[in-house]
Amino acid sequence: MRTMLADAPRTALTMAYWGFVLYLFLPLTLMMAMSFKNAAFIAFPIGDWTFDWYLKVMQDKPFLEACAYSVLVAGLTTLAATVIGVWIAMLIATTEGRWGAVLFALACLPAVVPGMISAISLRIFISTIDMPTGTSAIVLGHTVHAVPFVVVMALTRLRSMPANLVDAARDLGADSVVAFFRVTLPYLGPAIGGGMIFCILLSIDDFVRTFFLGGYRPTLPMLIFAKVQGGMSPEINAMATLVLLVTGAVGLYAEYYTRRSRSR
Amino acid sequence: MDPVVQFQNVTKAYGQAVAVDDLNLTIQAGKFVTLLGPSGCGKSTTLRMLGGFEIPNSGRILLAGKDVTRLPPNKRNVNIVFQDYALFPHMNVARNIAFGLELKGLDSSAIHKRVMELLALVQLQDYAARMPSELSGGQRQRVALMRALAPDPQVLLLDEPLSALDAKLRQQMQIELKSIQERTGKTFLFVTHDQEEALTMSDQIVVMNNGKVEQMGDPHTLYSRPQSVFVANFIGDANLLRAKVVGADAQGTALTWNGRQVGALPSAHAMKQGDSVLIVVRPEALRFLSVPSGEGFAGKIRKRVFKGNHTSMTIEVDDGSQLNALVHPGESEAISGEDVWLGWNPRAATVIRDESAAG
Amino acid sequence: MASNSTLARGGAMPAVTAPAYSTRLSALFNSGLYQSTLGALVSNKTTRMVLLAAVPIVWIVMMHIGPIYQMLKISLLSNYPIQHGRAPTFTFANYAIFFSEPLYFMPLIRSFVYATSATAVTLLVVYPVAYYVAKIVQPDRRSKALLLLLVPFWAGELIRTFSIIMLLANRGALNVFLRDIGMIDRPIPLLYTPFSLGFGLVYLISLYMLLPLYSAIDKIPKHLLDAAADLGAGPFTRFRRIVLPLSRDGIVSGCSLVFLTSIGVFATPMLLGGPTTVLFPETISGFFHGASDKWPVGAAFAMIMLVSALTTAAIFMRIVGGKSTRLM
Repeated sequence: MRTMLADAPRTALTMAYWGFVLYLFLPLTLMMAMSFKNAAFIAFPIGDWTFDWYLKVMQDKPFLEACAYSVLVAGLTTLAATVIGVWIAMLIATTEGRWGAVLFALACLPAVVPGMISAISLRIFISTIDMPTGTSAIVLGHTVHAVPFVVVMALTRLRSMPANLVDAARDLGADSVVAFFRVTLPYLGPAIGGGMIFCILLSIDDFVRTFFLGGYRPTLPMLIFAKVQGGMSPEINAMATLVLLVTGAVGLYAEYYTRRSRSR
Repeated sequence: MDPVVQFQNVTKAYGQAVAVDDLNLTIQAGKFVTLLGPSGCGKSTTLRMLGGFEIPNSGRILLAGKDVTRLPPNKRNVNIVFQDYALFPHMNVARNIAFGLELKGLDSSAIHKRVMELLALVQLQDYAARMPSELSGGQRQRVALMRALAPDPQVLLLDEPLSALDAKLRQQMQIELKSIQERTGKTFLFVTHDQEEALTMSDQIVVMNNGKVEQMGDPHTLYSRPQSVFVANFIGDANLLRAKVVGADAQGTALTWNGRQVGALPSAHAMKQGDSVLIVVRPEALRFLSVPSGEGFAGKIRKRVFKGNHTSMTIEVDDGSQLNALVHPGESEAISGEDVWLGWNPRAATVIRDESAAG
Repeated sequence: MASNSTLARGGAMPAVTAPAYSTRLSALFNSGLYQSTLGALVSNKTTRMVLLAAVPIVWIVMMHIGPIYQMLKISLLSNYPIQHGRAPTFTFANYAIFFSEPLYFMPLIRSFVYATSATAVTLLVVYPVAYYVAKIVQPDRRSKALLLLLVPFWAGELIRTFSIIMLLANRGALNVFLRDIGMIDRPIPLLYTPFSLGFGLVYLISLYMLLPLYSAIDKIPKHLLDAAADLGAGPFTRFRRIVLPLSRDGIVSGCSLVFLTSIGVFATPMLLGGPTTVLFPETISGFFHGASDKWPVGAAFAMIMLVSALTTAAIFMRIVGGKSTRLM
């Protein structure tokens, strides 16, 4: 009896954890299960199971185009955000004291501005510089959103770097550029890799910025949003399941990648 | 012999704190020179100025006669072995050593030949493909040394490179460092706060304190003829006895201490009759005399501490001051009881100025 | 193949061969072209600093501050875009509109209520979970336990919101389950209600609470808890006197992040909420559809929301947070 009482907090916490896991997974599992329903509408119980929705989605031109477009936007975003984010992190790392803190705060600003405000302000901004809505505007918006995360990841890694590695490279004849490309950048490698995958996920998942900055070509979230508003069928579930599987695989790989390089 | 490094009136201050104060120092080529001093004495700053990582506020630094005071690190032909080695974690041993050679623009086969030569020098040929994280502390140390030697620097700078090693390994590395220096004939400038390390390896020791050179010389001279209280205390243990000069000539100095006539080697500073001075007597220079004699003095043993290869004794003399004596095993057994009769060989004692009396 | 050639030279040579060195890169850096251009720029301290600072500072000023500044500017104009014959004048009228109609200020109040409640619920739900992973799970299994919680968040805002519909719709899993066990005859309307919106918000944002809480609790040394237990503190006292104060930074940054995220959520209220749950982002969005002559009002509304949200978060951090509290 005594041991049971002593273990009560532990048991309660274990249950809280597994309850939370159930809470997180149940809706997604239901969503995936529904993609196999052999009917034109969404309703439980599933009844007849079918794989047809997937066959249909795989031949659905708008879906495939949205996939390609999302990948394109994510690729450009990742490229831009990584270069700019690492550059900013390098500047912050060499700026001491108050100015360094100010720079860091400003670099992180887009990550704490609520998504809706960020989208609206970017929409206004591109109109003041006469940039049309469309691919370049989306990439710009996604990049602004992703840069703070790259900065934080790169900066964390930079701060763990022994200061004299760059000194050693300089001592052996490297100028600042050579020292950056041959010592600092390889050292940052794992953080940059993790940051890039994070950028991809942020860009592919983003809805609100794309909604206000996009042109006529929909990204994946835009397509799914339009379909949900236009009347639901298990077709959406099949699309969402495919997207979920791919982003999940990318995320899992990111975890594996950062863990492996951290253990080195 | 040519001076390879010259510091001329070099001063470096960080705000109000003066790290190096009007330093003048000349280092001869091919020597193992040690900058020795407590932390904050300016020795590391001196090293970093020579490496190009700090620019002096005033003065000049010459490297083989050429002014390098304001050259960046990558433009001067000196290399550093860093305190924690600073090996590039993402490159294997061979590529770490090759780094400086690659930047010199050597071709692959020349680089490979040089890398393998250097690895052979420290018996690490089989470790060329290992990553730094797969090496022991001593091996990392050797790789860092070879990486710094690879570009054939005019001076090799070593910034307390042994401090991360355990005591046994440290002694081993001291001998190895010295032998590598002798085999390569390079000028080594070594920075340490460990006097034993300095005495073991150096041809020349530069003792620094408060940004200034206290004394410079070979290890033997520094130990046997310190010229200041700081050097006497920092290198080895010393008994400092306050005495008055009776007379001095080139052979030695006649002094009175505790009302007795005693002798010591002459001081580097000019002394005149009546000057108040300190006599430096090393603990091992104190001799126990079997019978009372005119030259010695009486003392009482207050403490004996057995230290294995010797016994350390604290002896109180008649004016109440205490002396430390180091007694070898055979001798210590012969000394029984409390009362002893002591003396020292005048050739083993040195006179230095009494800085407190001089004001 | 490469190692064979080294072996051929005899002896126990290692598997490092000449081509492993990056001589081509060095040749580039030693070339006259590099030395006279980029190399020359970085050898001078001033030009090196300019090279390092130019792009980051231009980016931050243009892209991090620029959009907010433009939004502020336009919110103070009488009309935008600028049309012929109608020179925009400086005005506070756009801000005054906000206070004129409950239709405008009610959604903001509602947004604050939802964001605050969602933050509080998330904290209560996630804290035990974060504590369990950080302190009860064995260290070698901790990263797996954490990973299991991260996986659902890679799904993205929209898919997660959509999956909530599967659970709560009239013919969704919950209603069907309750009907099948005979607890209800007709479905309870759960979707398009305040309940579904709150449920969805918590589902969406709990990750932002989990990570700061986990890292704060993880940092509390276990021996502190052992010492407290040794001095006679029971589980509740240990939690109240040790764990809670020491995880304060995590609580503050987690709550601030969750609050700022949930107040700016746009798609979720549109998909899960009903006519009575219009939140402020949707109100703002209305000014940006169709003809753009209402932009100044939308910009003013967005400014009101930005300033009030950041102020709330800042006040919260100042009051509850310690000195070292940071958002990121």
